[in-house]
Amino acid sequence: MTAFHPFTWVASALAVVVTYAYLNSTKEAPADFRYVNSSGIHTLDPARMSWTQDFRVALNIWEGLTTSDPRTTKPQAGAAIFPPLVSADQLTYIFTIREDARWSNGDPVLAGDFIRGWRRCMEPGTGTDYTFLFTDNLAGAADYVSWRRKAAGALTTLDRLRQGWEIDAQAAQSLAHHPVFEVIKPSLSLRSTIIDQHDNHSASLGLARQLNTSNLNWQALYQQTFDQHVAQMDQRFSNVGLEATDDKTLLVRLLRPCPYFLDLTSFPSFLPCHPSVELLREGDVDSGLTREGLVVYDPQWTKPRGIRNGYPGLITNGPYFVSDWKFKQRLRMSANPFHRMFDTLNVRTIDMLVYENTSVAIMAYEAGEVDFLPGMDVPYDHELARLSQTGQRRDFLMCDTFSTYFMSFNCKDERIEDRPNPFIDARVRKAFALAVDKEAIVHAVLQRGDRVATTFIPPGALTGYPSPVGSQMDIAAAKQLLIEAGYPQGQGLPTVTLLYVPSDERVCQALAGMWETHLGARVELRCQETKSFAESKANHRFMIARGNWYGDYYDPTTFLDCFNTGNGNNDSGYSNTAYDALLHRARVTTDIAQRLELLAQAERIIVEDDLPIIPLLHYASPIAVKPNVSGIFPNPRLRFPFRYVSVAR
Amino acid sequence: MIRPLARRLVWALTTLIVVYVITFVMVVMVPGNPFQQSDRSMPIEVEHALRARYSMDNNWLYFWEFLGGAVRLDFGPSFTYNDWTCTQIVSQALPISAMIGVLAILFAVLVGVPLGVISAARRNSWLDVSIVSGVLIGISLPTFVSGVVLLTVFAVAWPILPIGGWGTIKHLPLPVITLSLPFIAYICRLTRSAMLDVLGSDYIRTALAKGVSPHQVIWTHALKVAFLPVLSYLGPATAQAVTGSFVVEKVFGVPGMGQHFVNAALNADAGLIMSTVLVFSVLLIFLNLAIDVLYAWLDPRIGLTI
Repeated sequence: MTAFHPFTWVASALAVVVTYAYLNSTKEAPADFRYVNSSGIHTLDPARMSWTQDFRVALNIWEGLTTSDPRTTKPQAGAAIFPPLVSADQLTYIFTIREDARWSNGDPVLAGDFIRGWRRCMEPGTGTDYTFLFTDNLAGAADYVSWRRKAAGALTTLDRLRQGWEIDAQAAQSLAHHPVFEVIKPSLSLRSTIIDQHDNHSASLGLARQLNTSNLNWQALYQQTFDQHVAQMDQRFSNVGLEATDDKTLLVRLLRPCPYFLDLTSFPSFLPCHPSVELLREGDVDSGLTREGLVVYDPQWTKPRGIRNGYPGLITNGPYFVSDWKFKQRLRMSANPFHRMFDTLNVRTIDMLVYENTSVAIMAYEAGEVDFLPGMDVPYDHELARLSQTGQRRDFLMCDTFSTYFMSFNCKDERIEDRPNPFIDARVRKAFALAVDKEAIVHAVLQRGDRVATTFIPPGALTGYPSPVGSQMDIAAAKQLLIEAGYPQGQGLPTVTLLYVPSDERVCQALAGMWETHLGARVELRCQETKSFAESKANHRFMIARGNWYGDYYDPTTFLDCFNTGNGNNDSGYSNTAYDALLHRARVTTDIAQRLELLAQAERIIVEDDLPIIPLLHYASPIAVKPNVSGIFPNPRLRFPFRYVSVAR
Repeated sequence: MIRPLARRLVWALTTLIVVYVITFVMVVMVPGNPFQQSDRSMPIEVEHALRARYSMDNNWLYFWEFLGGAVRLDFGPSFTYNDWTCTQIVSQALPISAMIGVLAILFAVLVGVPLGVISAARRNSWLDVSIVSGVLIGISLPTFVSGVVLLTVFAVAWPILPIGGWGTIKHLPLPVITLSLPFIAYICRLTRSAMLDVLGSDYIRTALAKGVSPHQVIWTHALKVAFLPVLSYLGPATAQAVTGSFVVEKVFGVPGMGQHFVNAALNADAGLIMSTVLVFSVLLIFLNLAIDVLYAWLDPRIGLTI
C-alpha cells in the first residue's frame, strides 16, 4: 500500500538540505591571525568612516603619508619619505612619495592619488564627519568647502522647484544663502527676503511659500546655476593648498602652523585613493556631479570584486588588501604582494570575524578560535578589569584611551520645556559639578579601571601640555555657590532633567542621588535610545546630558574645539569670548610651548571656572591578546597596526 | 480551485500593500537623521542635499520610489552599512537564516510528531507524562537559555563543535537544534491532542475491529488525519523560522536575517527596516497560502476559502 509517510519525506528533505550545506561549506584554511569586530564594518570608505573599528581596517589596507608607531601611535614613515620638508614658517610641507610605494595591482602610488583621497573628504556627498580636519588646517579648504556646500543646498532646492515639488523652510533657507538668491529676490515681496542672517523659521516658511507659488523659470535658473558652478569648480579647488608638483611630490600649504599635522596624515581621512574609483562615479558624466551638486560614488567601490563598468574591485596601498568580504560575517585581508613589507610580514592572512554578542566573542577567544579581541564591552567588564589588574589574566590588557566621559549642561536656552533653565548660571553648573563624587562613580559604581577625570583632556597624553588641575569634589563650596545663585538648599530650583542612553543608567542614578542628597535638587532621569537621544541633544531639549569624546589627533584642540562658539559639536551651546579668544590666539601662535600654555588656559576656563561640562572619567578599554601573539601593544587610540604582529603556532 | 486561488492571491497582495503603508508611515515618523551615523553634527545644506538625493525630502516621492524599487527587488542603500545595498544584505542573510530555519522545522517535525504520537498512544503512561512535561519545558524555555546551555555543553565543556560563526557544516547543529526546540514542543502538543481526537473516532475502531495491527492503525490511519493541524501550523512556523531568530543568531554569531530586524530599527535605517519587513511578510503570506493549498489537496472536504 502507498501509505502516507510524512517521515520519509521529511527525512529525505533533511538529508537534501544537509548535503547542500555540506557542499556549500567553506574549505578555506583559517587565517594566520583572527580578530573580532563585534558590530561589523560600517563602511570601508575612508572619507565616510568615523568608527574606530572601521579605522582599524582602513589603516591596515591603506597607507597614508605617515603611519603610526604601534606602541606610541606617534607618526612615523609611511608612503612618503619621513620626515617631509617643512618650510621655516611651518606653513608648507613637501612630501616625497617613496619610489617603491605601490598599489595592490602594482601601479605606483602618485601624489595625485593623495589629492584624490583628500578631496573626497572635502566634497559634499563623500566627505562626512572629518571634513573639518581639512577646512581647519589646509589653506583655502574652508572657502572651497563652504562654496561647495552652499551650492549643493541651493541646487537641491532649485532642482525640487523645477520639478514642481513643494519645498520646505529648510530648503528655502538653503537657497537664500546662495548668490543665486540675488537673482530671485527682485521677483519676491520684500518681507520674505529678510532672512539673511537669522534663519528665522517663520520667515523661511514664508519664503518657501512664495517660492512655491512663484512663476520663475526654475529650469533655466537651475541650469544656469549648475553650469556656472561646474565651470568654476577646478579653478576654485586650485586655491586649496594641495598641489602635485610632479608625480611623486605633494606640496601641502597650511592655513596656520599645525604642530600635529604629521599625526593627522596618519589618520584615515588623509589616505590616498586609487584612480579606478572614478569608474564608479555617479551623476552627470561631464561634471561628475549629481543633480544636487553632490559628489557621489557607487558605494560598491569598496568591495574586493567589481561588478560593473569594468571596475577591478578595491585597490589599496597598505600592507594588506581585502581579498574577501562577507557582510557581517567575515572580512579577509591578505598580504599585498606589491608592498615593501611583503617579504617581512609574519601574518599573511587576517580574518576580521563578526560576533554580534561580545560574550560569545570572549568564549571563542577562550576556545582559541580567535587570537585578539580589540574591545570587550560586556556587562561584566569590571570583572575582566579585575582579572587584568590582579595579574590573574596576563593576556587581558587595559588601554587608557584618549577619551573623556562627561555630563554636559545646556548653557544656552533660558527655558527648557516651559521650565527655567538654572544652568545658564555658571555658579549653578559649578555647584552641580562640585557635588559629584567621581571617585565613587569610577571605583564603586563602574569598577572598570577607568581613570577619574578632573579635566576634559586626559592628562599626560600630550607631551609638553600643562594640564590644568580641574575641580575636585567640595560639597561645602557647592552649597555656598547655590546660595549665591539664589537657590539655598536647592529651594527654587526647577526639576532638573538628566538625559542619557541606556548604558549610562547606573552612573546617572548615582549622579541624581548625589545632587539630591548634597544640593537638594530634584532630578528627573530621562533615558532615550541612541537615535532619539541624538535628536533631543541636537535640539537642546535637555538640561544635563551625557556625552563622550574621543580625541582624533594628538593635540589639545581635538578636545577644546568642541566648546568654541558655534562649533557643530558644541552640544551645550556654551559661548565665552575669552575662551574663543584664547583658542584663536593659539591658532596663530608659532611657538609650541606658548601655544600649549594658551590652550591650557582655555581648558582651565571650562574645567575650573565655567564648567559647561562635568568631566567624569577617561575610559579604560580592555583588550585580549593570546600569549602566542606578539606585536600588539595597548595604546590610547586603540590603533593596532597588524603589520607588526607575529603569531607563534 | 482556480478562482479561490486567484481570490487568495488578490488578498495576499492587498495585505502586502497594507503592511508596506503601515511600515512606511512608522519609518518616516521615527526621529533622527539617517545619514548621520556618529555623534558629530552634519551641515544643514549637506543633509538637505543628501535627503533629496535619496528622495527622502519628500515622503510621497520616497513612498513610490521605494515601492517601485521593491517590485524590482531593489531596496536601495542601507544608511548604517554604507557599502551595502539592502538587497545585498537581505540576499546574503536570508539564505543563511533559511538554511537554519528549514533544517530546524524539518528536524522539529521529525522529532515532534513521533513524540506526540507516542504520547497519545500511551496516554497517561509514564512515557506520556515525561513527554508532556518535556514539552512544557521546551515551550517555556527561552532560546537564549537553551542556546547558551547547548553552547556550554557542546562547545566549551566538551568542545566538539565551534562556538560561533558561519561557513562550515559544523556551525549548523547548535543553532538548528536550539531554534527547533520550541517548534518540537509545539508540534508534539498539536500531534498529541489531534491524535487523541482521532483515536476515539469510528473508523479507527473499525480498522482495529477488522484486525489491522494497532501499530499500522496509529502510524498510518490515524496519523494521516492527525497530521493536518500540524501542517497548518507549519506555514507560519516556517515563515518565522526561515527569516531568522535574533536570539539564536546573536548567541551563535550567525550572520542571518534576525539581527537586521532589530538592528535596522535601532539604527533608524529606513530602507533596511522596510526591506526586512516586506521580505518577512511575503514569506509569511505565501507560505500560509501554500500550506492552505496543500491542505485542500490532502483533505478535499476542506477546500480553499478565504
